[in-house]
Amino acid sequence: MDDPTKTAFDALDTVFDPCCRERGISIVDMGLVASLQVRHGQASVELVLTSGWCPFAARVMGEVKEKLEALPDIQRADVHVVWDRPWTMDRLSLSARTKLRFLPDPIEVGDRQSYVAGHVRTGPAPDHSNAVEEETA
Amino acid sequence: MIGDAFVFDCVAHVFNFDKSNAVGPPGEMFSNHLYAFHAVLTPSGETVLPPESFLRNWRPAEIDEMVFGQSDTDMLVAMPLPLTDLYQDGLSAWERCVELASLRPDRTVFWGSVNPLEGKRALDLMERQVKEFGAKAFKFYNVRYDYGEPYPWRMDDPKVAFPVFEKARELGVKLIGVHKGVPLGPQPIEHTQTWDMDGAAAAFPDLNFVIFHVGLPFIDEVCWQLIRYPNLYASIAATINFIVRAPRQFAETLGKLLFWCGEDKIIYGSEAPIFNPQWALKAFWEFEIPKDLQEGYGYPPLTEQGKRKILGENLLRLHGMDVAKAKATVAAT
Repeated sequence: MDDPTKTAFDALDTVFDPCCRERGISIVDMGLVASLQVRHGQASVELVLTSGWCPFAARVMGEVKEKLEALPDIQRADVHVVWDRPWTMDRLSLSARTKLRFLPDPIEVGDRQSYVAGHVRTGPAPDHSNAVEEETA
Repeated sequence: MIGDAFVFDCVAHVFNFDKSNAVGPPGEMFSNHLYAFHAVLTPSGETVLPPESFLRNWRPAEIDEMVFGQSDTDMLVAMPLPLTDLYQDGLSAWERCVELASLRPDRTVFWGSVNPLEGKRALDLMERQVKEFGAKAFKFYNVRYDYGEPYPWRMDDPKVAFPVFEKARELGVKLIGVHKGVPLGPQPIEHTQTWDMDGAAAAFPDLNFVIFHVGLPFIDEVCWQLIRYPNLYASIAATINFIVRAPRQFAETLGKLLFWCGEDKIIYGSEAPIFNPQWALKAFWEFEIPKDLQEGYGYPPLTEQGKRKILGENLLRLHGMDVAKAKATVAAT
């Protein structure tokens, strides 16, 4: 028999914050799930938000609830945001970190000027002046 | 002045949160969203207004008193909001921002704002805002809900954006702000990202662009853009308000900006009256990048010189103003 907590956790791994959906980073990968408990058909989830600004919190909370309550072993899911724990970069999974952060930590850079010079594309700046015409041609 | 730093705040709005001003549920939702910012990020020990005291029609004189009477701010930008898709008057009507600026003409600067999707009407309004009301810059919001649907436009769009940039240039205005990151409600995320700033900065190298809210959460992208374009800047308006509730998060954001972009590229803003400016100003003046972030991750320290630039000197420079003259003007008033 499947472990209901693991099944619930797997379900949370299919919920996306809209800011990260296009990159395929779930709320589990983002480290938004602070805790998950499943007991006697009742799930309790605590979420930590990346930012108090997030206008999508209600949507994410609703989707978490829907996904969990759709599972056969869960009749009810309660979802809360916790405010006493800040979200930090350390909460990102390795795959999310790789997808989201393309700048290394400064300590890995060494000489900043050399790093930038080695990574900036040479040549003229991109020309967008014909973008609309190209699209409509 | 805080310490010996001249404080030039790049954004305060004259909000009209009256229910009759909101256009349907999306407008009301956005008002509640801004109230949540106020309630969540204002530190304990500071005044958190009840909803009925916050969600109302603010008067210009109240904003003036909050910024100049209750904080160490020396100069201010009165910033309109052209969110006519969400509010009858756009939420911070430009005429009321003119009124705010008129209360202290030596200390409050008016920035204009128009909806570029309105074409010639927008260009005509830009001319009026500069010639009749002294607009010193423009602020744009490229994610909108026009016609009841999300209706975004891009800052690198030659047909929508470039005409307003050309008009600004013609009017002698060389400073353009743009709201980025922080969605104004459930909007299409891709247009709150900053990739369109490359095209704008490259096509108009004689204009300076300020990316507001440092484009959070897309901070790495913003850093990489500021590195490559000398005419791109980042405002920590609203970002700075994490300084007490989430200082580690703020330190990482600021540390990245300091390392990659440097202290000359960062602009302070208060977002009054969402936040009373003084608590964040005081916290910023006392703020240090934590030692473990410096030693373990290589972030640079935040020096007093850096604080002076971020709090006011950079924005003075972008307005073509001299620090010593600005200090003298404020002292005289």
